[in-house]
Amino acid sequence: MSTPMLEVTDLHKHFPIGTKGLLGKPARWLHAVDGVSFSLERGETLGLVGESGCGKSTTARAIIGLYPPTSGSVKFEGQEISHLTRSERAPFRRRIQMIFQDPYASLDPRQTVASILAEPLKIHRLAKPRERKLRAMQLLDAVGLNPRHIHRFPHEFSGGQRQRIGVARALSLEPDLIICDEPVSALDVSIQAQVVNLLEELQERFGLSYLFIAHDLAVVRHICDRVAVMYLGKVVEIAERDELFGNPQHPYTKALMSAVPHPDPRVERTRERIVLEGDVPSPLDPPSGCRFHPRCIERHKVAGDLCSTVEPQLDTRSACHLTATATAAASI
Amino acid sequence: MLRFLLRRFLWFGITIMTVMTVSFFLMHSVKGGPFDGERKLDPVIEANIKARYHLDWPLWRQYLHYVGPFNLDDNRALFAEDSDGDLQPWRSSNPAGQEVKAFGGVFAGDFGPSFRYKDFTVNEILAESLPISMLLGTLSMMFALALGISAGIASALRPGSGIDLSLRLAATAGIALPNFVIASFLIILFVFMIPLLPVAGWGTIQHMLLPGFCLGLVFAAYIARLTRTGMLETLSADYIRTAHAKGLSPRTVVLRHALKGGLLPVVSYLGPATAGILTGSLVIEKIFFIPGTGSHFINAATNRDYTLAMGVTILFTVLVYTLNTLVDMAYTLLDPRISLEDE
Amino acid sequence: MAIPQGDSRWALSPEDLKRLSKEAKNFKGESLWSDAWRRLRRNRTAFLALVFLAAFGGISLIAPFLPLPSPIALSLRDEAAPPQWMWEEPESLPKPPAAGTGMTAWTANLWNDGWRHRTMLSVAVRDEAAAESARARIEEVAGRKSAIELRGAEAVSEDGLSKVAYVSVPLLRTDTPDVIPGETDIRGNVTAWRYDAAIPEASPIPGEPPLEVEPDWRVVHSLELKAPDGTPFDPAQISTWSIDQRTRKVELFLARQDPVPGIGSWIVRYQLDRAISGPVVTVRVNGQLLAGSKPIVESNPQDAQIVDARLFEGIEHDDIGRQLARSFEADPVPGARFLEARHESGYWPFKGLVGRFDDLLLHARVHVFGLWQTGNWMGTDSQGRDLMSRIVWGSRTSIIVGLIASLCSLLIGVLYGAFSGLMGGRIDNLMMRIVDVLYSIPFIFVVIFLITVVNEYRTELEDNFGIDREKIFFLVIGAIYWLTMARVVRGQVLSLKNTEFVEAARVIGASTTRILLAHIVPNVLSIVIVYLTLTIPAVMLFEAFLSFLGLGIEPPKVSWGLLAVDGTSAINPLKIYWWLVVFPSLAMGTTLLALNVLGDGLRDALDPKLRGKS
Repeated sequence: MSTPMLEVTDLHKHFPIGTKGLLGKPARWLHAVDGVSFSLERGETLGLVGESGCGKSTTARAIIGLYPPTSGSVKFEGQEISHLTRSERAPFRRRIQMIFQDPYASLDPRQTVASILAEPLKIHRLAKPRERKLRAMQLLDAVGLNPRHIHRFPHEFSGGQRQRIGVARALSLEPDLIICDEPVSALDVSIQAQVVNLLEELQERFGLSYLFIAHDLAVVRHICDRVAVMYLGKVVEIAERDELFGNPQHPYTKALMSAVPHPDPRVERTRERIVLEGDVPSPLDPPSGCRFHPRCIERHKVAGDLCSTVEPQLDTRSACHLTATATAAASI
Repeated sequence: MLRFLLRRFLWFGITIMTVMTVSFFLMHSVKGGPFDGERKLDPVIEANIKARYHLDWPLWRQYLHYVGPFNLDDNRALFAEDSDGDLQPWRSSNPAGQEVKAFGGVFAGDFGPSFRYKDFTVNEILAESLPISMLLGTLSMMFALALGISAGIASALRPGSGIDLSLRLAATAGIALPNFVIASFLIILFVFMIPLLPVAGWGTIQHMLLPGFCLGLVFAAYIARLTRTGMLETLSADYIRTAHAKGLSPRTVVLRHALKGGLLPVVSYLGPATAGILTGSLVIEKIFFIPGTGSHFINAATNRDYTLAMGVTILFTVLVYTLNTLVDMAYTLLDPRISLEDE
Repeated sequence: MAIPQGDSRWALSPEDLKRLSKEAKNFKGESLWSDAWRRLRRNRTAFLALVFLAAFGGISLIAPFLPLPSPIALSLRDEAAPPQWMWEEPESLPKPPAAGTGMTAWTANLWNDGWRHRTMLSVAVRDEAAAESARARIEEVAGRKSAIELRGAEAVSEDGLSKVAYVSVPLLRTDTPDVIPGETDIRGNVTAWRYDAAIPEASPIPGEPPLEVEPDWRVVHSLELKAPDGTPFDPAQISTWSIDQRTRKVELFLARQDPVPGIGSWIVRYQLDRAISGPVVTVRVNGQLLAGSKPIVESNPQDAQIVDARLFEGIEHDDIGRQLARSFEADPVPGARFLEARHESGYWPFKGLVGRFDDLLLHARVHVFGLWQTGNWMGTDSQGRDLMSRIVWGSRTSIIVGLIASLCSLLIGVLYGAFSGLMGGRIDNLMMRIVDVLYSIPFIFVVIFLITVVNEYRTELEDNFGIDREKIFFLVIGAIYWLTMARVVRGQVLSLKNTEFVEAARVIGASTTRILLAHIVPNVLSIVIVYLTLTIPAVMLFEAFLSFLGLGIEPPKVSWGLLAVDGTSAINPLKIYWWLVVFPSLAMGTTLLALNVLGDGLRDALDPKLRGKS
């Protein structure tokens, strides 16, 4: 495996907020994604977790080209795709697809399932008109829906079924990588499991890779091979799933992990929880140095004002001065 | 709130200025003048008439004089024949022995002289006719509210029932039928077939009933629709169920609790309804021969009495704009979820 | 774990393909529109409204084809006639001799456009008494009642007859040959039987072959050249003739009509091998252009001034007119002298009411219905115009105004709203603030003011730009009603622009155009259609409102607003002309009601969320 399937390097996405004067410059910038790097191997599932507003969805949209990134690079199988025009991007559209969060908003209410599923084929001229219907039926079959329902409208389906249609649409272009933007968080828990199982099944069947965005750690733990944790536009820790869940390094990850309830009530009662102080700072005005330092409970372990002045870099595992000093000390 | 009012006022000023400027220049760009088309006038008389209405001034000066706030009329020029029979202007700063005001024009509330009713100013005509139109408008609005709200509640309380269906059909008919058609029917019915009411004119309460009814009917229909929708929505809300569960009488629940929420759409409709009543009064006043502002406006428009037509237009624009602002403010008071700053 | 690689992993297995193909044959899809249509059909009131509107719209569209009397032709009636039901004998002025049913073969409108089936006699008379005795003679000879109109002549002739009585005698089907479609190839709308009582022998133009006058009637075109002061007009002055190339065979002759001062004229006739309407005829007098297809008259100081040139088209026919002429010759009526008899039958196009398409319909009407037309089933107005015909023709105007003005508003509103919504931000803010401001102006006052001002320029606008009052009307109405449309569309576009399904479309590679056409437009369209069906009645109401105030459609055009004016002005305590109020109100009310109901029904039907629920 020389080149990873997807490689994101130092991705930035800033949004202008408000303007001064008629044609003036934006008053402020919202740093939604501020230097995110990770890579994803073929057949792998990478989880991207974090609180709401930490830039997970923006990262996904920047990768797939819905938002042009402010800076940084996105490489798909070694080819730069972040600044392509629409026509240049077309071949990659077939390879990278996306599943959206809200199954109620992501399907055009005035299109039948057949036309929703046939539209990608029509755009990319992949099948003859007569074959498109069969293809749509096959896709419905593949995601576990009755192929007879292709002439129904989205509102005639339940939330879980709609999300399956969303999955089928993503599959219609026969992609290699699917970006799942919180695909289950709008669904009931019982339905969540079905959809997650479907995704796993499809991965096995079609050899897909997933970039799986979620804030539900249990789902992530179930489906992902590796997990990246984001905080305020940055990846703070990235590791193999078991490693991350078993031995979190970054103080934020630790706090996140401690929030997961344990199924055993006795353990749950005695379990120690790390409760973070304060709110997430505004991405309009991120804190200096380590972004997590105002809320970090292990900050006292680092000498001086290193945390509030110097921004820690993401090494192979985490972005924290504490772990950096630990590894530095260990190396000495 | 203050910011909202200021912004409204700014837009209001722009609107009025635009309406005024555009109509002024349109009116003065008309070839000939308001006094053409009659028999050929004596040049002296014509010149005097022109001087009286300042038609001899350059256009910009007429405009400034019309808009105000300063009265440019302090050196009115009149013409007289001299010994050779030529026209010579003579000046008098005070020809009629009247006091010359420093302020004038629309900004000072002066719409100038009427072109047709030669002995009247537009202000005098408005002062005479506006109270009549206002009375008619208020009457029909009250009528529309009373009938509309009660019909709306009645049909919302039993949705799908015969009462509901017939009221809804009546409301649709009320919206669809022009008020002059309804007026014709009612006149035939209540004036000629069952002689209860006088046919036309103004003065007594009997004179007002029929026009008020005809004018208000369309708006009653709209209000009934809005009330019904609003009430249906409110009646299915949780807090109404709670009120029922508390054991309040259905009457109390509907009148004290549901009505407040259910009438919100009606409040926001009051602004457009006012404009609509002013419009409708044009026709109703014509049918019933009511000497209101509306009939004066129509006469003015068809008789080239431009100052009067402009005066009515500007006055009604101010009126509607003010009422709309008031309605918007009332709406925020009634519905705390809406903020004026949000818009 | 063996991960399938390449495209083969997506391939459909043969069994699956077979199964799915079989499955696919078993059911058919239903598009959004067919579903909406199905649900609209199930909504009984809305469907009823649709059927009513379709029927009514159809009737008003083909109004020229229907055997209705003229909507604008005046009769000599001075009081509105009550409805005569279909089974009643039609009562008209004057009374036709034969009893009929509700259908009449002739028309009471004796003086104006529409069906004419009459013999028009011109008699020079001294005074009213002479005119009445001439009329009595005519009624005696013709054996039927007639109508009379007395006009003063431009000059007094030698025998002191200063007036001309026009006596209109209704023709019966037995008097004249039928209009035979195909054989005579007569354009139904411009057919006249013309007979000139006192035409001397035709004198062929030098150099032209003599015209063979057939004993029976035939198609002729006549160009009437008139001298203003009765100066005898010398045909030698006519130097050149030309008739346009559409006419294959042309024969010309000049006929001198008995010169009565002020009336006498030269009739220039040419026979055509087939009837064509309005051939371009050019006549030059002393080398000067005299008459073109639209007769052009130029003064020539040396010669007699030709002031009037009229084109006639017709068929010569020998009948009642000749009898009358002989009768007047044999036994002169004191103080009266017979001038001319003209037979006219056919459909005269309404000036300013019909276009090219209507012309075809009028033609078809003559072919299908011949001379028959309905009686006054809904009565007449005070000037004898048939109310039913007026309602139908008025609905044409109202519906056209409603449609065009609504489309105007639709165009402006959708463009403005969509642009505002798509741009977003500051531009959107400003554009919507302008809409807010316009909303708060009592627009009708401004519009009425504008219309009156524009009226001052109407001749200039009409001559220079071809903009007539109706077009101004459409523009003005369209310009008011776009506001709500703009708001609605903008709101929709704004909310659609940011939905995930638009993002999803972008992810699968849809172009902006495709997103606009395949996703945003269909989602906006249904609400636009619904709003359109609600705008049309509002605009029609507004048209009625303006026409009522005398600022909208003008006579001779008919509209519902004008009918309403007639209705309200007919209300008086002495006699209630109920039909003038009831029938127009019913037509207007039901149409507007139906449009409103249909709009509500469409709103429900086009909402896919309600699918399967009603």
